[in-house]
Order: sequence, then structure tokens, then C-alpha cells
Amino acid sequence: MMDALIFVLAGAFATATPLLFAALGELVVEKSGVLNLSVEGMMALSAAIAFMVTLQSGSHLVGFIAGAASGALLSAVFAVLVLGFMANQVAAGLAVGILGLGLSSLLGRSFEGATLLGIDKIAIPLLSEIPVLGKILFTQDIVVYVGIAATGLVAWFLYRTKAGLTLRVIGENPNTAHALGMRPVGVRFLAILFGGVMAGFAGAYASTVLTPLWSQDMIAGRGWIAVALVVFGTWRPGRVAVGAYLFGAVSLLGLALQAMGIGIPAQFMTCLPYVLTIVVLVAISADKVRVRLNAPAALGESYRAAS
Amino acid sequence: MSFLGFTALPRAETSPVALLAVPLVTIVLSIVTMVVMFSALGADPGVVLYSFFIEPLSSSYNLGEVLIKASPLILIAQGLAIGFRARVWNIGAEGQLIIGAICASLLPIFWSDSQSAWMLPGMIVIGALAGMAWAGIAAYLKASFNASEIIVTLMLTEIAKQVLYYLLTGPLKDPSGYNFPQSVMFPDAGLYPTFGGDGVRANLSVIITLVVTIGCWVFVTKSFAAFRLMVGGVASDAARYAGFSQRRAIWMSLLIGGAAAGLAGVGEIAGPIGKLQPILSPGYGYAAIIVAFLGGLHPIGIFFAGLFMALVYVGGDIALVSAGIPASAPVVFQGLLLVFYLASYFFVRHEVRRVPQADGLRGAA
Amino acid sequence: MRHWMRTALATAALGIALTVSAEADPFKIGYLLPNPVGELGWSYELDRGGRAIAEKFGDQVEVQFVNSLGEGPDATRVMNKMAADGVDMLVLGSFGYQQDGMKLAKRYPKLSVVHIGGYMNAPNFSTLTPRHYEAAYLCGMAAGMVTKSETLGVIAAFPLPEVLNVMNAYVLGAQSANANLKPVKVIWLNSWFDPAMEKASTESLASQGTDVVFSLFPGTPGPMAAAEQLGIYGTVTHSDNSKFAPTKHLCAGQLNFGPVMIKKVEEAMAGNFKGDDVFAGIADNAIAVAGLNKDLSDEQRAQILARQDEMRAGTFKPFTGPITSNQDKEAVPAGTSLDDGAIKGMNFLVKGIDTTIPK
Repeated sequence: MMDALIFVLAGAFATATPLLFAALGELVVEKSGVLNLSVEGMMALSAAIAFMVTLQSGSHLVGFIAGAASGALLSAVFAVLVLGFMANQVAAGLAVGILGLGLSSLLGRSFEGATLLGIDKIAIPLLSEIPVLGKILFTQDIVVYVGIAATGLVAWFLYRTKAGLTLRVIGENPNTAHALGMRPVGVRFLAILFGGVMAGFAGAYASTVLTPLWSQDMIAGRGWIAVALVVFGTWRPGRVAVGAYLFGAVSLLGLALQAMGIGIPAQFMTCLPYVLTIVVLVAISADKVRVRLNAPAALGESYRAAS
Repeated sequence: MSFLGFTALPRAETSPVALLAVPLVTIVLSIVTMVVMFSALGADPGVVLYSFFIEPLSSSYNLGEVLIKASPLILIAQGLAIGFRARVWNIGAEGQLIIGAICASLLPIFWSDSQSAWMLPGMIVIGALAGMAWAGIAAYLKASFNASEIIVTLMLTEIAKQVLYYLLTGPLKDPSGYNFPQSVMFPDAGLYPTFGGDGVRANLSVIITLVVTIGCWVFVTKSFAAFRLMVGGVASDAARYAGFSQRRAIWMSLLIGGAAAGLAGVGEIAGPIGKLQPILSPGYGYAAIIVAFLGGLHPIGIFFAGLFMALVYVGGDIALVSAGIPASAPVVFQGLLLVFYLASYFFVRHEVRRVPQADGLRGAA
Repeated sequence: MRHWMRTALATAALGIALTVSAEADPFKIGYLLPNPVGELGWSYELDRGGRAIAEKFGDQVEVQFVNSLGEGPDATRVMNKMAADGVDMLVLGSFGYQQDGMKLAKRYPKLSVVHIGGYMNAPNFSTLTPRHYEAAYLCGMAAGMVTKSETLGVIAAFPLPEVLNVMNAYVLGAQSANANLKPVKVIWLNSWFDPAMEKASTESLASQGTDVVFSLFPGTPGPMAAAEQLGIYGTVTHSDNSKFAPTKHLCAGQLNFGPVMIKKVEEAMAGNFKGDDVFAGIADNAIAVAGLNKDLSDEQRAQILARQDEMRAGTFKPFTGPITSNQDKEAVPAGTSLDDGAIKGMNFLVKGIDTTIPK
């Protein structure tokens, strides 16, 4: 019983990590006022590339770098479309997403079903000896810890640095920002690239650590969940992280309950995060003050620099 | 925003020349890329091009396939475009299609030996209403709580998929189908009549699509409601000043989009599928968004964009067999096509001019 | 421009080449698979069956493979294209192709269709289903022999009848080898395809004391690789997964489509194709246990193989009564064995399985 509980709570961290990375990236992109719906495609492509590179090089680090690079490359295509050619963000996101999904199965098809060794979990000395908690919190792989650190860093960047303030102002009103001497296009470009890198890490983690194997369609909708998590977390990094871990725990809880012989319709468990996202979205959107505090006002709108 | 001595300026009016040139340039660019890509994959580019663009048009069967593939794309895209013009982003047509199909399927599943001529009209009405209702949830939440319709429609799609699965493993399962998650085969009264010859799958859905296209064209070019929809969505302040409500734009956009998607769902189950099954659509709801944009959000443009996309789909399937390309290659091709289109569409709304040498002019612009 | 001319010419030349070779006319087979082929598993084994045909008949046949073909109206188009191109035989590798394949068979009476799985037949439409459950019974025996915690776990996608009969046979086999077995734990994935959840399910079962996990119709080798990492045994259907679990691979039901497929091709080539319902098992060399773990003693191994021989000879049938369902109803009366129809349409779980069939 205790082991089952530890499985759910400890496993939730690993299950949540790809969601967390992708959602943190998307959060920064959205804070700059851009909606990038290609997260699923970016994750799929980088999962394939990271897997291939890790398999060939034998190094997870190199694999993660390759994954991040491919995510960034695809996000650059999106950035050029929406910033350079001022394409509609929804359409551009979907287009780039389709491209990423297609490329991932095209490039990965000769690696179908291949597996890798994952990376070892790190037991933090002393802390991991604590009964129960030690196994849940202090026996995780390095990327999980990096994900937690990244949450803090993104929060610090957004709310404690001048660059973060600039990014948020641009997300609120790019025209005002431009009038104040900020450079909306440049900042948005960097934000989109950051989103690509983070989606790249997310894909790399999914294929080289979490499973660790490559298979077509292995991202299985996690990119869309990441987009939903940004809303679920009301554009606050900490809440996004909590949402990701909750989601991870709920999906594992379903597996643990089934193994105990407690039957809950699997479709119900699968639906839960989507229903919750709608509920949260309605709750926060109805509250005008809170929306104004967190949701970027210019989200999804093209910005044309006055030249 | 100048680059190598050139700058892009918004056009006062969209250029009709560019409007026609853009799709052509896109297609040429994509074909060139395709030849390069498929050659790299070891396929004969001649065979690939033949499979993609000639063979789909070369037999009545293949023509029928292009038409039944184009129908849902065009149908959904027409509905979505009305909303997109009003800047209401319904991206959950896939879910509205599924719910429309589920509700419409209740008639042929529960009256599976009926021969009533009312079954088909009943399915069409129920399907459209159900799609409408599913999209209506998003409309209600947007209009009353300001909840982003992008996220809500997206989430509702995922929920719709699970609802479909739940029903197929339980209440709507074929009792003599060995527990496989699918419904009974529909009776003939629940199937769209086909035309074009033996084995050709072109069906009533093609006619419905034509009618809807003409209807949309009339609506967009002639009606006051469409104008109101545009104003309500684009500039809500101006709309309010003129006495039009943004709320109505949201409701109208989503309801029309949902109805069209529901109708497309009926077209699938009463058409080529003939039953309710776990996979009803290979992503028509998403592809239609692309079709809407490819067609410049204009009913006639959408019609041709949908036909072209269908050609690419059907051609891709043919090329799987004749040129031995992998199944993912046509997906990459579609992605490229869209990226090129979105990039070149820029020139419909912008003109490129040489930057005047004098710096003073830039400040004035 | 010259390049375009060349491809155009090449196309024309190819057309001529095809017409010329049509005189020699090899027997053409279209071979449709739902997923990428990969290194093992369902599509891989089917693909291997197709290659066995090509190897056996050489120039006499031409096998055209299309894989990763999703189920639905699009697959139908590919089938139609092949039929219109004049293939003589179609092999359809997924349940989702059944009804459209049947329509096609009716329209092209000269076409021979072999559909893997399913329950429909016509004079030129044959179904071919492996008796996965036979090997599952034997792997269940192995599981019953090695388990220390006496707790077994099963990971499966959806409660299809074929999944239920394999699960039941596995548990019956395990119970026959171990009288003290605790209720068997089951996780339904509700997806054919989610490698992350497949792995997590293995971990979940292990955390609740399972020391042998059965990966029933898996989408990937994920559960087997996870079992190896967790240090618990893994059993699996379709293919020997030893490569992915070098020390903990307990047993696999290894498919072998070659012999049965070659038989159907021979029938069709000779012009006497039968639209029969082939339920191919150990006796047809269509399936056998493979990858038995070296932790099994010689005696245990001999026991399993002896049972396999009995199945081959037809003297032992796994679904022989008395069998009670886990709803405490009599499922198979004492002294009788289920016939093939009842096995294919199975909708109960045997006593000792701790789950209900999701409604």
C-alpha cells in the first residue's frame, strides 16, 4: 500500500517533467503576447532527434542538446511566420505543428521500437534516507531537479528582472512597449526560441528518459496538455508546476487504483485534466481583476512595428 | 522593418493579383520542395508527381475519393471562416464533428432495421444541432465568462474523443460484434446515396457541401448579418457604437462553425464509414482550419483550397502504393505547403517597396 | 527543364516496362500493415510473414508492402488502389480494415483477401487468427513457476474478446502451475499506444508486489524493458523480446505467420482459394513459446514444452471445464471444452483475475 503511494507521488515527478518543460516554455511565449500552438509538433520532432542522437552518441547530454536545437529550429520557422510575415498565430502554430509531427515520423521511422537505457536516479545523500519522503522527493533523476530549478528561474526572470518586465509589457501592449523604446519583435523572437528549446527538452526527456524508447506518436497529446497547463496555472510558473505534478499524479493514480482492482472508467480519468482546465479557465476569466494581473492582454494578436 | 534596402508596407486594399498569385506560388514552391524531398527518400519524382496530381483525377473512383475527402474539409472550413473573419477562434471543430456524428448515429443504431425515408434528414438535423450544442458550450463560456474559446474548444475536442470511446465500449457497441469497439453497420436508410458509378464513393455530402458553399457566398457578400459579424468581432468598440453586440458575434460564429462540423461528422458516418467507430476523422477539424486560411477566408477560395488539400491527401495515399513513399511523407508535404502559404500570404496584404534613401521619410510614415 | 523531361520520359518508360512485364505476370500481393514495422511486435511479425512468402516463391510473386496505414476511410482508398491496379491477393493486417476489405472482396470476386483477425467470411475473404492463447497458457505456467510473491500482473489495452481469451489462458496456465496464486492484477491502458503509460503501468504493478508482468498485445517493448530495469520477470505476446530484457525475459508467444500465409498463397495461385476461418495455433507452427528464461529449471522447462507438445497433438485444450468466471458463474462445465467460436467471442474473465471488464 505504502509502495503504491510512493509509486504515485514519486512517479508523478517524472511523468510531469516533460509537461513542465513544455508548459514553462509556452508560458514565456504567451507572456510575450504570442500563442504558439505547435508545442505538440515541436515535442514530437525533438523526441525523435534526441532519441537518434542519444542512440548514436551514447550521451544523453548530447541528445538533449540536439533535442533543444531541433525544437528551437522549428520554433524559429514559427517565429519567422508570425513576426516576419505577420501570419495569423493560430494558423502558423497549427501549420508548424503538422510539419513537426510529419518530420518526426519521417525521420524516426528507422528507429521504431528501439530502446535506450534511461538515466539513473540520484539519491541525494542523507535527505533520501528520510522514510517515504526521501523516496518521493529526493530520489529522482537530474532532469526532474532541473525542471524544478527551471520553474524558479522562469519566475525569477519574469518578475524580478528588467528583461522579464520588458517581456511582460510587450505581452500587455506591444505598441506602448515600442513607444517606450522596447523592441517587441526581437523580444518575441527570443521568447519563441526559448519556447522551442523548452519543448525540445520536453521531447528529449520523453523519448530518452521517461520511456525510454522511440515510437511514432509517442508524445500522445502531451503538447496540448502543456498548452492547457499554462491556462490551468493562470500564467504563473509555480502554479503551472503544481498543475503539471497534479496531472502526473492523477494519471498514475488511475494506474495504481486499477492494479488494486478498483475500477474507474479509464475514459473518465483521461478526461479529468481537460475538464479541470475548462473549470479553472472559467473561474479565472470571470474574475476580471485576476485575469488582468496574469493573462497577457495582447495574447494572439499580431504586432506590426511602426516603421 | 527594412531589409536589404526594401521595406514592406501594408496595402490599402488587398491586391487581387497577389490574391491569385499567392496560391500559385505556394503550390509551385511546395512541388519543387516535394520533388527534392521525395527524391532524397529514393522515390522517383516523376511517379510521385503523377500519383499526386494526375492519378487522383484519372478515374471516376479517384475523383469520387477527392470529392468525399474535400467535402468535410470545405464544409468545416466554411463554417470556421465565418468565425475567423469575426476573430472568433474555434479550433475544436474536430470535437464538434465527433459529437455531431455520435448524436446522429443514435437514429441508425437504435432503429437499425428501419427503412424510413426520414432517417437521413433526421440524422442531418441532429448532427448539425449536436455540433452546434458542443460549440455552444464554448460560446456560452466565452460570452458569459470571457473564457478563451481557443482553449475551451481544444479541451472539448479531447473530451469528445473520450465520450466517443466510452460510448463505443458500452452503450453503442454492436451487441454481436465480438466486443469490438464499434457500432452496428447502418441500414441503407441511414447512408448517403452515392453517385458516379459502381464502387465510387462520392455521395450526398458533396451536394450538401456545394449548397453550403453557395449559401456562405451569398451570406458573406450580400447579407447584413455577415457585416454585423465582422464589425462585432473585429472592433468591438465600433460595433457597440453602431449598436451591434460582440456577444452575438461570438454566439453566431461558434454556432455556425459547430453546425458545419456536426454536418461533416454526419457525412463521415453516413458516408464512407457507415458506422460509428473510434476513429471518425483523420484530423479534418484541424486540417479545415488550414483550408480556411488557404482559401483566404473566402467561400470560393475555401472551395478550391479544400479541393486542393483533398488532392494532396488522395494523391498521398496513391503515392504510398505506386511510389513506395512512407506514410509520413505526405504529412510533411502538407506542413510545408501551409508554411509556404502563410509566408507568401504576407504579400497579399503588403507591398514591397524600395526604401527611400532619405531618412526623414521613415519617421513620417 | 531537361530534368523534367527526363522524369517524364522515365515515367513513360516505367509505364511501358509495367505493361511488358505484365506478360510474365507474377502473382501480386498487396500487404497492408497498421503500424511502422520496427524490430518486433505485431506489424513486424506480419511483415516477416510477407517476407517469407517472397522468399518461398521468388520471382513468382510480387509482394507490395504498405505500413503505418491508419484505420478508416483512407486505408480503404489504398486497398482500392491496389485492387484497381490488379493485385491478386490482399493481406489486411488490422481489425479496422475488415468491413471495407469485405466490400472490396464482393466487388472484385477474383481477388483473394486474407484478413488477420476478425469474424467475417466470404468465398474470397478468409480470416486468419493466431491462437495467441495457446502460447499464453504456456507462458502463464512459466509465470506460476517463478513467482515468489505469488502476485502476477497483466497490462492490456482494451477488453476485446481476443484480449480476454489470452488473459484467461495465461491465468489458467499460471494457476495450473501454482495453487497458491493471489488474485491477478490488471491494468487497462485505454490506448493502443502510449509508451510512457505502458512503462508506468509496469512500475505500478511492481510497486504492488507483482513479480511477473504480462505485456498483452503491447504497442512497444516498453513494459519488457521496464521489467528488466525493475528486476521483475516479463512475459509478452507476438515476439521474443529477449533483446529488450536480456536477464528477465521469462517467456514469449512467438508468432510465425510464414507457414499459414504461404498455404493461403498456394491456394490462391492454384485457383482454389478458400474463404475459410483459419484459427492457427501451435499445431500449425503459427505460434510457439520462445525466450524461456534460464532461471526455469530443466524440469520446469520440460513441463512447459511437454504441454506444448500436447497442444500440438490436440490432447490438451486450455479452455477445458470446469472453469468458473470471476463473477462466480460457471463459464465452462466440467468435461467440455470451449469451441473456437466461443473462444473468439469470449466475454468473461476467469476466477482469480482481480478486475472487471470495463463497461
